[in-house]
Amino acid sequence: MSRVDRASAPGPAALRRSSGARVSMLQAIRSAGSRTVPHPGPHPAPSLDASWATFAGVLAGVGGEPCGPVTRAELSAAALGWARDRAAGGRIVAEPSAAVLLEAAADVEIADASAAPTSFADVAVAIVRGELGVAECGAVAVLGRDAPQRALLFLAERVLLLLPAIRLVADLHRAFSALPADALAHHHLTWISGPSKTADIEQTLVFGAHGPRALAVLGFSEDDDPAASRDADR
Amino acid sequence: MTLALDARARTTLPDAASRARHDTAVWQLREKRDAAVGAVPDFEALRTRAAAIKDHALDHLGELLERFEARARAAGAVVHWAPDARALCEIVTSLLRERAVTSVVKSKSMLTEECGLNPWLEAHGFDVVDTDLGERIVQLGKEPPSHLIIPAIHRTRGEIGALFHREIGTPAGESDPERLMAAARRDLRARFLAAQAGISGANFAVAESGSLVLVTNEGNADLGTALPPIHIACLGIEKVIPSLDDAAVFLRLLARSATGQPISAYTTVLTGPHRGGELHIVLVDNGRSRLLAHPERRRVLRCIRCGACLNTCPVYRQAGGHAYRTPVVGPIGAVLAPAIGLPSEDSRTLPYASSLCGSCTAVCPVRIDLHEQLLAWRRDAPALPRGLAWGARVVAALMERPRAWRITTRLVRVAWPLLGVVSRWGGPAAAWRSARELPEHPGASFRERWRQRAARQDVA
Ligand code: SF4
Repeated sequence: MSRVDRASAPGPAALRRSSGARVSMLQAIRSAGSRTVPHPGPHPAPSLDASWATFAGVLAGVGGEPCGPVTRAELSAAALGWARDRAAGGRIVAEPSAAVLLEAAADVEIADASAAPTSFADVAVAIVRGELGVAECGAVAVLGRDAPQRALLFLAERVLLLLPAIRLVADLHRAFSALPADALAHHHLTWISGPSKTADIEQTLVFGAHGPRALAVLGFSEDDDPAASRDADR
Repeated sequence: MTLALDARARTTLPDAASRARHDTAVWQLREKRDAAVGAVPDFEALRTRAAAIKDHALDHLGELLERFEARARAAGAVVHWAPDARALCEIVTSLLRERAVTSVVKSKSMLTEECGLNPWLEAHGFDVVDTDLGERIVQLGKEPPSHLIIPAIHRTRGEIGALFHREIGTPAGESDPERLMAAARRDLRARFLAAQAGISGANFAVAESGSLVLVTNEGNADLGTALPPIHIACLGIEKVIPSLDDAAVFLRLLARSATGQPISAYTTVLTGPHRGGELHIVLVDNGRSRLLAHPERRRVLRCIRCGACLNTCPVYRQAGGHAYRTPVVGPIGAVLAPAIGLPSEDSRTLPYASSLCGSCTAVCPVRIDLHEQLLAWRRDAPALPRGLAWGARVVAALMERPRAWRITTRLVRVAWPLLGVVSRWGGPAAAWRSARELPEHPGASFRERWRQRAARQDVA
């Protein structure tokens, strides 16, 4: 492990050398491995509780705000109420995937996937659809497909995730297997467990380190869901 | 004792109060870890599984890296190969130069710390800003991080307040963590928005999909890689794991072992660049393939940099991270430094900075046999100062001769009260005694007491 000297000048175009480096690195790495140690196989995780109550308790424990679950009919009013209370007149932006679950409202922008990410720097509340919740750690998966403006999740002062309440699993193993097949096909898959936080100054927990100061998960039941066809459409 | 770490510990944590504060702060992490671990019924099985997955991955590293490269390229990333620190620095420099980038935001990466990327880039005229709060604190203070996950754990809020007052203009005397964080957030937010490139590390690289997994609590790695058009990820070759299912095993262990959280606030799986952006991934060897070739030492490459072994280590807790003078500190740092061949002479003495109590081994989420590794280093590359080495030889010679041993221990017993006085007079013994009391002599040797015990049992 060598540290470079700050004084020495950069060498010739490093990229050109890279293919030679690749060959020699792989050679050294290959000759070091025996390719005989087997993979232990999937972890047989015990079945733990995957209820909304457990999920909500863990989420609250990591500083998040569990809301609901509400019925599909109540969802729009609950989400917009939460957002307006906290935005206090500031920008509310919904990703299209969340906007289709809400009634159209003049004070709610729909995020433009082609806008510059920096244009969301002053957003007060972002509303995004969550794909799946994990009871043991209070995390919610947000798919790139549903949140093409990844920066919005981190620039907004507050984030509200809309999560179908039946989309809960007990642990991360089950969570990864329950993701849709194209979960990695849209640049990012982001697991969010509570708001942005730090304890870097004398172990004191502070929310809103760089990203959202608050993170709420609003559960809703998908019965009588006119947008349930959404999944079928894709 | 004249080992390098011992002497340096005095300057980084200069007095008993600062040592006690550091010890408490670090031990709190250990306690949080224990509480979190206790709540997971399959935690021990997870550790075993994680170790086995890493051993498999390390044994198949060549093909996994090639698979990772192919999938990452298919997703639109460019993969670079850097045999050493110098190559990494040059690759990053030319990527930035070719795109006329001057301002860079960086999220935490122990690898770039190891390779000296920050000082290199600064010396070449780039404006590099560390964005993890703890890393920002040590960057502004012009010092290295002292802990794997809490880089400024050695600093008090008062010291950080004074630093921020000087560097980012917070009011004099401000030491409230919340207000200090708010000031740092304002300062860094502007830098995030203006940055032309983001440099990150990666916690894992997933071979089956060519994805990178980034874990943070602050979300700084996400802002730093979602906003600028260029993302350069620098990672050691040992970071690659076969599949996303494997990542689940490590993610359930990582945050619990590090801070006692069930998972970090943000776990981001990135596959390819963002819309209109570029993603460059630099795979770095820097001594790792040498380590890989050693059947026992290769186990240290399982490390997921959780910091648990630091938090539990009685030496680290008292000495502080700066005493190690290595990029990775604590027990794992002490085995990595000589293994990967850090140039500094005294990194060879680091394996002696251990009581071999085995606490590090007991908590390591990937079951690295840290204390055995430390012991093996002492055996294979002895680096004891001459006085101690000579003393060890004398004791060994005596132990091989029962008569001589009996006579010597009897002499020592007679001279015991005198030893307590003489050892305070000066020299290495006095330095050692400065923080330790000579215990009471039990009044009989082990053999004598054993015989007495046997006699008592006979009577009974
Ligand atoms: S050696 Fe083990 S305990 Fe120490 S940092 Fe690495 S993974 Fe964590």
